[in-house]
Amino acid sequence: MAAPMVSIQDLVVDASTSRGTAHLLRGVSLDIGRGRILGVVGESGSGKSTLASAMLRLLPPNISRLSGQIRLDGLDLVALAPAEMEAIRGRRVAMIFQDPMTALNPLFTVGLQLIDVLRRREPGLRRADELKQAEAMLATVGIPDPRLRLAAYPHQLSGGMRQRVMIAMALMAQPDLLLADEPTTALDATVEAQIVELFDELRQRFSGSIVFISHHLGLVAELCDDLCVMYGGVIVESGPVTEVLARPRHPYTRALLDCEIDDDASGRLASIPGDVPDPLTVLTGCVFAPRCPHAAPRCLQGQPPLMELEPGRRAACIRADEVLP
Amino acid sequence: MNIGAVMGGGAALAEAEIAATPALLALEDVGLVYNGRVRALDGIDLAIRRGEIVGLVGESGSGKTTLCKALMGLERVTAGRISLGGQAIDALIDRDALAFRRKAQMLLQDAVASLSPRMRIGRLLEEPLRIHGLDLGEGRARILALLQRLGLPPNTLDKFPHQISGGQARRVAILRALVLNPDIIVADEPTAGLDVSVQGDLLNLMLDLQAEFGLTYLMVSHNLNVVRRVTGRTVVMYLGQIVEEAPTRALFAAPAHPYSAALLSTNPSVDPARRRARTVLKGEIPSVVNPPSGCRFHTRCPQAVARCAREAPALREAGGGRRVRCHFPLATGLAQPPDAA
Amino acid sequence: MMAGLSDSIRSGDGVAGVLARVSRSFTGLVGLLIVAAIIAIAALAPFIAPHDPDAIDVLNRFSGPSARHWLGSDHLGRDLASRLMHGATVAMAVALAAISAGLTIGTALGILAAYLPTRWERFILIIFDVILSFPSLILALAIVAVFGPSTVMVVLIVAITLIPQFGRVARAQVLTLKSAPFLEAERILGASSLRIVTSHVLPNIVGPLLVLASMDVPVVITIEAGLSFLGLGVRPPQSSWGTLIQDGYQYLSDSWIPVLVSSVALVLATLGFTLFGEALRDAADPRLNRER
Repeated sequence: MAAPMVSIQDLVVDASTSRGTAHLLRGVSLDIGRGRILGVVGESGSGKSTLASAMLRLLPPNISRLSGQIRLDGLDLVALAPAEMEAIRGRRVAMIFQDPMTALNPLFTVGLQLIDVLRRREPGLRRADELKQAEAMLATVGIPDPRLRLAAYPHQLSGGMRQRVMIAMALMAQPDLLLADEPTTALDATVEAQIVELFDELRQRFSGSIVFISHHLGLVAELCDDLCVMYGGVIVESGPVTEVLARPRHPYTRALLDCEIDDDASGRLASIPGDVPDPLTVLTGCVFAPRCPHAAPRCLQGQPPLMELEPGRRAACIRADEVLP
Repeated sequence: MNIGAVMGGGAALAEAEIAATPALLALEDVGLVYNGRVRALDGIDLAIRRGEIVGLVGESGSGKTTLCKALMGLERVTAGRISLGGQAIDALIDRDALAFRRKAQMLLQDAVASLSPRMRIGRLLEEPLRIHGLDLGEGRARILALLQRLGLPPNTLDKFPHQISGGQARRVAILRALVLNPDIIVADEPTAGLDVSVQGDLLNLMLDLQAEFGLTYLMVSHNLNVVRRVTGRTVVMYLGQIVEEAPTRALFAAPAHPYSAALLSTNPSVDPARRRARTVLKGEIPSVVNPPSGCRFHTRCPQAVARCAREAPALREAGGGRRVRCHFPLATGLAQPPDAA
Repeated sequence: MMAGLSDSIRSGDGVAGVLARVSRSFTGLVGLLIVAAIIAIAALAPFIAPHDPDAIDVLNRFSGPSARHWLGSDHLGRDLASRLMHGATVAMAVALAAISAGLTIGTALGILAAYLPTRWERFILIIFDVILSFPSLILALAIVAVFGPSTVMVVLIVAITLIPQFGRVARAQVLTLKSAPFLEAERILGASSLRIVTSHVLPNIVGPLLVLASMDVPVVITIEAGLSFLGLGVRPPQSSWGTLIQDGYQYLSDSWIPVLVSSVALVLATLGFTLFGEALRDAADPRLNRER
């Protein structure tokens, strides 16, 4: 297999808060294959959004530590100067947010915002060509009457249309890496289905890699190639999505799958007892040990690394072979 | 409390038993028009019997939130009649609003935001007692007992709403409703924003409480898995109308309305074997200000014909306790009367 | 998502917490100290003033600062330090009375405007505009012309001119709060409108109103001093910073000390309350708070 598009090594992100230092990412290592869609799932506080922000180097101002490596085609984004990162962001790495209204400028037309992205990639095009490309891109993301929509302002579009415009803007940059942070969460079910369908189509025409962040395991299962499960700022399991879901190797993934309500069965619903870890605590044992049904004394002796258990399958559990073979 | 002793889980009461009891909450041809033209609710007919858990699904603009508000007397309907225990709620509210509030309670979608931010939880829990002039000493004892029953640590009482988790805020909101001992609880998106690892706990609790206190639930949710698992009957709304109503199992097994079918098909599943072929509807939900002519769904319906644009279908019985608002309902197999074969 | 990142001002951190945040900036600390000193002096003037402020001692007119008269004496030989301290009492009393009256009435009208039907809302807003359209000094002159000068009149005039700004802020606050889920939740529980306003709306809008009130103190002090300077406010022999400046001004050729010390007192008070008010506003604004 070719070298991965993105290779993240031991990424640590701390933030200083009034209560102390919050450990948002506690040493994350991850590879994203070329042309693959990676689904990142996790509950609140798992660090999945921080991971996306770190890849864009768009972290909040109270970040006190950012260490490790994020290699995009060999180029370490963590080590780049802010000005150099500026050239990467929105060009080689693009992002789609949950709420497109916060990312679109309300004062400019859709067309102008698309052209703006295009000019960064390809300065000096003729106006007519720019408009033509912008129109073609709107058509690609399934916006009816694209020529008319170029003149529309964001508030004149519905939520689903705005999200399509966001996707069009991201694609306009022809990025190597597209980050999508809960892109369908704010949408209605039938509109969400349209956007999921669009992502499904995009994978044919888009050559870059996509990171799809979601709390919705079912959605990730349908859309993604690879899966990465995060918990408390740690990646606990990663691997091809079908294999991970069919046969999880980390107790947290197992527990999360059990919580999915997916049948007509009656009886009690599953849950995971306990609370998500406080980002302020320093890990002394496995991050999931306090809620893990299989926790043993040796699980309390440090967070296990993400180990390759079989080709392509990784889990951060020292008892994986015993409890989830 | 008369039916308190039923088993927990699922649709708590046997269907036959429910069908025998008179409707606790009945809506007859209810309509709500804003400013003379926004038809937020149109011809809603629905009966909810004591002890039932009814699910309500639909997208934005479907009118489900408006319906909840109308049920709670927060919005006055402009047509038809809503009755609780046989009495029109408008009359109930005019006569004794507090008595009505003790019968019907609602859990709002954003539980944290539904708690007054500058009051401690303890004080917030006492609010219903103070509002209704109930005995504080007795009420406090009840609150403490419920606190334990709902799995809230005692120190919750001293905290402020922003200091507790989303799951705890939901429990506090439920407790506030339970203090009044209501007959029916309308729950608007009870699990929205909750992590999957805790939503099961909350739903289990709600089911247990339903059995213990003889509650009736109307549960609004966009999470189809939750509706499927928890409710006994499901109502599907589209643009202010009920388009289908059926026993939950029957609906999920074979929806009869094309909109229900499309909506259910969008529900992603972790299990590849259970995945349905996605029916992706064209376009977006039209506005209630100017709803489509004829069948309101015809602009997006994959099988609409000319008649659908002209003629508005009625909500008709389709057998097996199912009602559908469609000229050409999908074959369900279950809808046939037993002697038809 | 990122727990603890936003530690904005929230409920439950009490007066001590707010004051601690105010004193975190240098200007805020200076403002807080001046305000505390002035309030203490104003409250304790009868006990800490070295002399009777009205005791005339014509033999010792315009005596310079000495151990007996810390800041010297005025044209009637009255102790300037004592008169300044009692002047602080008057200034603070007028500010307290006028601002609390303006705050109460303005807030009540503002809340009413937000809740009443549009017709009544417009009526209240027009009243606010009418009051605002009068220059406060002209309004004061008009009222004094009719009723004659007195401290009560000063309080009344200032209170009336303050009503619109409190009313407008209160109305704006209520309008943003009106559709908040927690108010709907209270309504579902059966709470009356009065209860919702007093127990749930008010506690959530007092913050900005109190900030506004503290920023108004220097304004009120200068209006009071100004009116008194013109002889339209506090009546002699009662001491007010305005009358002190006026007296000193008339005898400027005999001594510059009375004008200087009373003006410095006025400037210090204005500065102190302004700095304090600004720091309070910053402390109460979570957006500004997070940037640090």
